[in-house]
Amino acid sequence: MGFDFNYMLEVLPTLFYASRFTFYLTLVSTFFGLILGLILAVINYYEIRILNPLTKLYLFVIRSAPLIALLYFFYYGVAMYSEFVRNMNPLNAVAIVISLTAGGFMAESIRGALLSVDEGQKDAAYSLGMTDGQLMKRVIIPQATRIAVPSLFNNVISITKMTSLSFVLGVVDVMGAARVQGSRTFSYFEIYGAVIIVYLVIIGVLSVIQRYVAKKSSEAY
Amino acid sequence: MTKNVIEIENLSKNFGDQKVLEDINLTIKDNEIVAIIGPSGTGKSTFLRTLNHLNEPTTGKITVGDVTVDAASYTKKQVQQLRMQSSMVFQNYNLFKNMTALENVMESLVTVRNVNKKEAREIALEQLERVGLLDKKDAYPSRLSGGQQQRVGIARALAVDPKVLLFDEPTSALDPMLVSEVLQTIKKLVETDHTTMLLVTHEISFARDVASRVIFMNEGRIAADGTPDEILSNPTDKNLQQFLNINQY
Repeated sequence: MGFDFNYMLEVLPTLFYASRFTFYLTLVSTFFGLILGLILAVINYYEIRILNPLTKLYLFVIRSAPLIALLYFFYYGVAMYSEFVRNMNPLNAVAIVISLTAGGFMAESIRGALLSVDEGQKDAAYSLGMTDGQLMKRVIIPQATRIAVPSLFNNVISITKMTSLSFVLGVVDVMGAARVQGSRTFSYFEIYGAVIIVYLVIIGVLSVIQRYVAKKSSEAY
Repeated sequence: MTKNVIEIENLSKNFGDQKVLEDINLTIKDNEIVAIIGPSGTGKSTFLRTLNHLNEPTTGKITVGDVTVDAASYTKKQVQQLRMQSSMVFQNYNLFKNMTALENVMESLVTVRNVNKKEAREIALEQLERVGLLDKKDAYPSRLSGGQQQRVGIARALAVDPKVLLFDEPTSALDPMLVSEVLQTIKKLVETDHTTMLLVTHEISFARDVASRVIFMNEGRIAADGTPDEILSNPTDKNLQQFLNINQY
């Protein structure tokens, strides 16, 4: 039994079609992850009382717990006590868990970028009479964005790959579609070869965009 | 009688257990050009920065223009008002990296003082012309030499028409080749402008050249205070004599 190249080409369109869930989950998780990440990073940056230790604990949990454990914990564990989670469709459940995870990872990227803005910039802003808010808006965020973009893009690439775990909750994404195909034909070699190709294409496109954005932001000033 | 622009009473500053500034009392009159000299690590820069509350004093009262901040109790608003009385030129220029030369000079007018953009732009262009950098108005700091950055820093400080200009070792981060362009810019200011200036500097001959008063700081205190002639030509303080000898003035 050799490698059936034609079969692989045959399943590719199905898998690419299933990647719409990959895109959806990546977009949603990136969006909410960014918002959450920014909030966590600002709490950490200003060392806001009470919230800062909680943020650190959150980051520790997110960094340490495997995504699959978080997915099961949320979708099967929390569901036992929450009507809301019980009635949730798997796609939304995955979106929530990956957003929470993405928020943790993005918080680290944003925090690093905020800290990279040097003290002299703050001295100058304060000395001109700026308030903390003006300093944040006019100086720190614009400068930190430029630093954060490349690493945030790495986060997006990780998020894209994280979404491949959504099939464990029953989402028929690329991996889910592959499993359906596999149970029918048992041609795992071809099917998972095709899965890898789908991800290479998606991540490849993202990497090209990343390189372009990184180049643009390093040329900015 | 000229009025006092700066009044400092019992100013002290500790970093932990270390006393950096000890009981400084000083008044500076309108139009005075004061050079502050002294060995490294004696609190010259810290002193200048406390005038802008970039370093918080531990105790003491600071008055600049018509705003007083007492270390014992003050509000954020008072600190902001105090800062708006003066302008600071930094050792490392500290231009906003995300803004062009022109935007740097306009920034505090637009953001802090609510001057409309058109007017702010005119003021900024005028100031850039004064420091001879009109042709660099659209350049980001990363495209400017150290000397040019510092001249933009001076333009930014001048734009808000401050009562006092504070210079924190404005040339010590510069290549020797670039020092003179900045010193010339400052000298021109002294001749044409009548703003009160405080300069922390290691350029002793420059201090003699432009200052109307020289303060020698040593170990967190004002050790000598007088005319350039008194301080630099006929020093009586032992430490000052030693300092001037080392600096081969």
